[in-house]
Amino acid sequence: MSNNKGTLEIRNLSKSFIVDNSPLQILNNINLTVTSGSFVSIVGSSGCGKTTLLRIILGLENHYDGEALMDGKQIVGPGTNRGIVFQDHRLLPWLTVGENVAFGLDKLNRKEKKLLVDEHLQLVGLIGFESVYPSQLSGGMAQRVAIARALANKPEMLLLDEPLGALDALTRMYMQKELERLWQLEKITMIMVTHDIEEAIYLSDKVVIMSSRPGIIKQIIDVSSSRPRDRASSEFMQIKAEILEEFHLGTEYTFAYAI
Amino acid sequence: MAKKFLQRLGLKDKLLAIIVPLLVLAAWQGAVSQKLCSELILTPPLTLLNTLLELAQSGDLTLNILASLKRVMIGFLLGGTSGFVIGILMALSPFLNRIFGPLIKALQQVPEFAWMPLIIMFLGIDEFAKYFFVAIGAFYPMVLNTYQGVSGVPEKYHELARVFDYKSFRYLFKVIIPSALPSIITGIRLSLGLSWMFVVGAELFGSDSGVGYLMTWGRAVFQIDLVMAGLILVGVIGFAMNFLLERAEKQFLLWREPVDGRPA
Ligand SMILES: Nc1ncnc2c1ncn2[C@@H]1O[C@H](COP(=O)(O)OP(=O)(O)O)[C@@H](O)[C@H]1O
Ligand SMILES: [Mg+2]
Repeated sequence: MSNNKGTLEIRNLSKSFIVDNSPLQILNNINLTVTSGSFVSIVGSSGCGKTTLLRIILGLENHYDGEALMDGKQIVGPGTNRGIVFQDHRLLPWLTVGENVAFGLDKLNRKEKKLLVDEHLQLVGLIGFESVYPSQLSGGMAQRVAIARALANKPEMLLLDEPLGALDALTRMYMQKELERLWQLEKITMIMVTHDIEEAIYLSDKVVIMSSRPGIIKQIIDVSSSRPRDRASSEFMQIKAEILEEFHLGTEYTFAYAI
Repeated sequence: MAKKFLQRLGLKDKLLAIIVPLLVLAAWQGAVSQKLCSELILTPPLTLLNTLLELAQSGDLTLNILASLKRVMIGFLLGGTSGFVIGILMALSPFLNRIFGPLIKALQQVPEFAWMPLIIMFLGIDEFAKYFFVAIGAFYPMVLNTYQGVSGVPEKYHELARVFDYKSFRYLFKVIIPSALPSIITGIRLSLGLSWMFVVGAELFGSDSGVGYLMTWGRAVFQIDLVMAGLILVGVIGFAMNFLLERAEKQFLLWREPVDGRPA
């Protein structure tokens, strides 16, 4: 759909929070370019500022140094060109699945709403669950509803904050496939934060490796293998080794566990 | 094992809840018929039942209950609605909270019945004075619970509203109030409960109808059975209102509870 939409340009971005009356630097001089329609993963240990970076791109954090440009325009707040899947699925418990998916479609009329809701529930494989409440869903289903809610708004960029973090290994692998399918279908830019290096390699064109205190980008690794990717292929293993190296977890550092 | 034991305990509790009052009633009836206590002072249960039936037959029962309920509804709507609106405003505006907060906290220290002399002085003992008195009772639980509910809306929902561009009334009605609903409904239940107590209080002070009036009238003509029948009515109606509202609360907040048997 979008030809050149959904690009992101981050230049010399630094961010501090005030903690105990003094500024604590969280992000330090971040530079990142995300091209239209690409899939980018951000990996890094807990607390290195991944969520903060995503919140800046989303427009929820407004006080920072440097620039964050979406399609060439400075980001000043949330906008419908960016969708988000929060780390906690953040569905509204008093709304049904269908109403949650329609949450961002309030300005449309009933018929248009229903069409979009059906389309996106179909997309995430949850047709028939419209009238179920979130408390009745499993973690994976709730996360899929959150994805449907974000996509229904037709964003040009989807931000995902550890969307599969709470799922068991098998559901997780299934959902990775699903995410890849959705990304190929929607042809939008996706930026995903994850703890899982294999997940990042499986899905991404680009893996951004961050390290902490203060958060910097340590390395950006391009992954150009053809899709769907084989986790057991030597190419895959090699990239994984390369990334582990960055975390000092390569084979020669076996005893230097740092995370 | 443990479950069975608990179930039996639950059943036993329910049986006790029925048996104990029955025993008390029987002892009461027995005490009076054995002349341990004068019938004029402690009306026996069977006589009370008779009094209630007579009241029902003459139409006095319905008339007086309806009179009280009408005052409850009007007073509750006045006090509850203002409590609801002020509670929301206080929770959303730090400025209004600074203005109303201390005032409401200070006024809360005044026992509500202490308002009665003032109300009588300014408004007399007519219908409006009664509505006003009931409204005072209805106001506090509503303003406090609404305030708590709305200030307790989690930050994550405020953020979600920002992301999806919810503003003003849409934000209020589709995010804030639903999130605060459990608190608000508790407020409604407490508020109605107090309204009921207050209406009886107001009617005791001077009235020509209502359940409270039945009791003052009974006292005036020294008909203890009327006074006691009034007491029973107050208890039963208050209990019924609370019971119905608790049921409605459960029904209304179904989404809160995970339902057994997840869909496949
Ligand atoms: N609003 C805030 N105020 C103060 N410190 C914060 C705030 N938000 C995040 N932080 C701190 O910033 C650091 C990075 O947080 P976050 O971006 O959530 O990390 P990650 O998502 O990589 O685990 C953490 O140390 C966290 O405690
Ligand atoms: Mg995080």
